[in-house]
Amino acid sequence: MKKINSLYIIDDDPIAIFGIKKMLKLKVECNDIKAFENGKMALDDLKGRIEYGDGIPEVIFLDINMPIMDGWEFLEELLNLNIEEKVIINVITSSIDPSDYQKWNHFRLNSIHHLNFRNKPIYKIEVTDVSLAS
Amino acid sequence: MKSIETVPQNYILKQLPKATAFVDKNYSIVDASDSWLHLFNFKWEDLSGKSILNVFTDHEQLTKTKLKEYLDSNKRKKIQHVQVTKEDETWYESILTPWFDEKENVVGTILQSENISKRIEKELELKRTKILLKAKSEVAKVGSWEYDLISQKLSWCDQTKKIHEVPKSFVPTVSQGIDFYKQGYSRNKVSMLFHKILEDGTPYSQRLIIITAKGEEKWVEAGGKAMKKNGEIVKIIGTFQDINDQVIAEKKTKESEQLLSTLIDNLPINVYIKDKESRKLLVNKTECEYIGTNAKNLIGKSDFDLYDKKIAQISRDEDLEVMRSLKPMVGVETINIKKDGSSTNFLTSKIPLINSNGEAYGLIGMSMDITHIKEKEDELRNLINITAIQNKKLTNFAHIVSHNLRSHTANFSMLLDFLIHEKEEKEKDRIMTMLTHASDNLLDTLENLNDVVAISTNVNIDKKPLNLKESILKVQQNLAAFLEKNKVEFVNHVPNKLSVLSVPAYLESIVLNLVTNAVKYSNPKRNPLITLRAKKQDNSVVLSVEDNGLGIDLNKYGGKIFGMYKTFHNKKDARGLGLYIIKNQIEAMGGSITVNSEVGKGTTFNVYFNEEDK
Repeated sequence: MKKINSLYIIDDDPIAIFGIKKMLKLKVECNDIKAFENGKMALDDLKGRIEYGDGIPEVIFLDINMPIMDGWEFLEELLNLNIEEKVIINVITSSIDPSDYQKWNHFRLNSIHHLNFRNKPIYKIEVTDVSLAS
Repeated sequence: MKSIETVPQNYILKQLPKATAFVDKNYSIVDASDSWLHLFNFKWEDLSGKSILNVFTDHEQLTKTKLKEYLDSNKRKKIQHVQVTKEDETWYESILTPWFDEKENVVGTILQSENISKRIEKELELKRTKILLKAKSEVAKVGSWEYDLISQKLSWCDQTKKIHEVPKSFVPTVSQGIDFYKQGYSRNKVSMLFHKILEDGTPYSQRLIIITAKGEEKWVEAGGKAMKKNGEIVKIIGTFQDINDQVIAEKKTKESEQLLSTLIDNLPINVYIKDKESRKLLVNKTECEYIGTNAKNLIGKSDFDLYDKKIAQISRDEDLEVMRSLKPMVGVETINIKKDGSSTNFLTSKIPLINSNGEAYGLIGMSMDITHIKEKEDELRNLINITAIQNKKLTNFAHIVSHNLRSHTANFSMLLDFLIHEKEEKEKDRIMTMLTHASDNLLDTLENLNDVVAISTNVNIDKKPLNLKESILKVQQNLAAFLEKNKVEFVNHVPNKLSVLSVPAYLESIVLNLVTNAVKYSNPKRNPLITLRAKKQDNSVVLSVEDNGLGIDLNKYGGKIFGMYKTFHNKKDARGLGLYIIKNQIEAMGGSITVNSEVGKGTTFNVYFNEEDK
C-alpha cells in the first residue's frame, strides 16, 4: 500500500468520484482525500492550504469538463501558484477530442509536475498514477 | 549616140484602170498606165526609158538582183513587196507576166501592181483576233458551236469538244449533242430551247448540266443565236461555256452563307454587329427575343435607345476601347439593365471588325445570358457557407455528444466492473443505486440532445410576424407561479404594436430561457428585477432582457457562455443547455444574440431578430 499524505479528486460527476475513491482504497493509504465538483473549489482550497502552510496534495485526479472552472483553467491557475513540490496530476477525461490530448501534452512539457493522461473508463489505479517513477 | 528621149505614153495603155507597166528585155520601162504611175507616185518624165531595176530601191522584196531574176525567168510571178518609209510601210502586190509580140516571142514583161496594204492589215487583224479568241476561249473555257440548217451539220470548236471531253476528231450530230445533257431537266430544257430557236429564232442562254464522254457531271452555260438570210434562219451559232467551278463555288458560298446565317440565328447566344457609332447592323434571333422585338426595329439602334443610360454608357465605353485598341474583349461578365429595369447577367465578348487599312469599322458582339448560372452560383455559395457553418456546428456537436455519452458509458462500465468483483451485499446495493443514477443521467442527456438536434436540423423554418409584447405576456402568465415564488419584479417595456418575424415556438423558448436564467442566477441579496425592452434597428428588432442578478465574468467565460453544458454558477438546476439552445434557435432564424454583464450587478442579453424574410 502506497502511503499518501493528501489527495484531491476534482470532478463534477459524483459517480466518477465514487469510483476513484473505491479504486484508491485498494492501492493507497491516505487519510486526506478531498473531492471537489469543479476547479474553482479545488483552487480555493489549495490556496488556503498554501496560506496556512498545510501540505500540498501529492496526487490530483483532474476531470476536464466541469462547470465554473474546467480542468485546463485549474491547471493554468495551479502553474501560476509556482508550487515547488512535484505533484502527480492525473488528467482523466471521457473526451476523445484530439485537441484535449494536445493541450495535456502542452501542459506536460511546460510544468515541473508529473502529468498523466487517462481516458475514462478506468477500472483500477496504476502505480504510476500515485507514485513518481524512481 | 542615141539620146534618151521621152517617148510619149500610148494613149490606150495610159488609160488602163489596172496599174500596169511594160518593161522590155533590157529592163527599160517602155510604157505605163497613169494608174500605175499614180500608185507609186511616179512621174512619166522621170521613168520613161529608165531601167525598172532602179525604180523599186526602197522596196524590200524588189532589190535589183531579185527583180532581174524575176524578169529573166519569163514566167508569171506574183510578188508581194513592201515600201518602207520613215513613217509608214505600204504593201503592194505585183504580177509579172511575160510580154509576147505577134509571133509569140517574149519581148518583155508586163507588170501589174496593186496596193494591198489594207488587205494585209485585215489579214493580220484577223490572225490576231483568231489567236486572241482562241486564248480567250481557252482561259474562259468558252467554246462555240455552229449548226447549218441547210447542210444540217453541227460543228463544235476545239474548246467545246474539250468541255465534252471528246477527241478533236469527234463530229457531233444534233441528237448526240443533246444526249450529252443530263437526263431530266437539262436535256428537256435544251431540247425545247433548240426546237424553239429553229422555229422562230428565239435566242437562249441557259445554265445546264451535261455528262461528259468520260461520265463526269459538269455545269455549262449554253447559248444560241439564229443567223438569218433573207428572213430565213440558215444557221444557229452558239457559245458553250464550262461554268462548273463557278457554279460549284457559288453553290458552296450559298451553302456556307446559309449555314452561317442559320448558325448565327439559332445560337443560344445574343449575337450582334455594331458600326463605329455602336449602332446595330445585324442582330440574331436570340438578341431580338431578348429585347422583345424584331430585327427590323433593332437595326440602326444604339444601346442608348434600348438600355438604361448608365449601362449603355458602360457598353459604349467597351465598344470604343475594343475599336481603339483593336483587341478583342473576351468573356467579361457584364450586367445589362433594360429600360423597364429588368437586369440580366451576361458573359460578353466583343471582337473588332478591321478593314483592309487596319482600322476598326465596327465590332461583333456575343453575349451569353448567365443570369441563371449567376443565381445558381450565389445560391451555391450561400449553401456552401451554410454547410460550412453547419459542419462546424456538427463537429462541435459530435464532440459534445460523444463526450457526454462517453462519460455515462464510462460510468456504466466502471460500475459494472465494481459490481462483478464486489462481495459485500451492502456495497453491491450502493453500486446498484449508482447505476440507476447513471442510467437516469444518460436518459436526461439524451433528452437534452434531442432538443438540440431538433433546432440544428430545422433548416426550413417557417417565420411569422408575431406581436412581441403579447408573446412575452404569454410566457409571463405561464411562469406566474415561478415568478411569484421568487418575488420577481417583471417590467415589460416592449412597445404594444411591435412585431417580430419568428417561429412562434422559438420566440417562446427564447423569452422563457432568458427570464428563467435571470431568476436562477439572481443575487440572493436582493429581489430579482427583470426589465424587457425592444426597438427596431436597421433590419432587425432588438429585444433586450436585463436583470440585476449575479452577473458573469465575461473576461473569463465570454467565449463559452453560449456553449453546451457550460455553467458558471454553483446552482443545482444549472443544466448549461438553455443558452446553447436559444442561440441555435436565433441563428436558425438568421438572427444573433449578444451579452453584457458585470459581476455583482447584473446581465443584459440582446436578441437581434432578422426582419428580412429570407
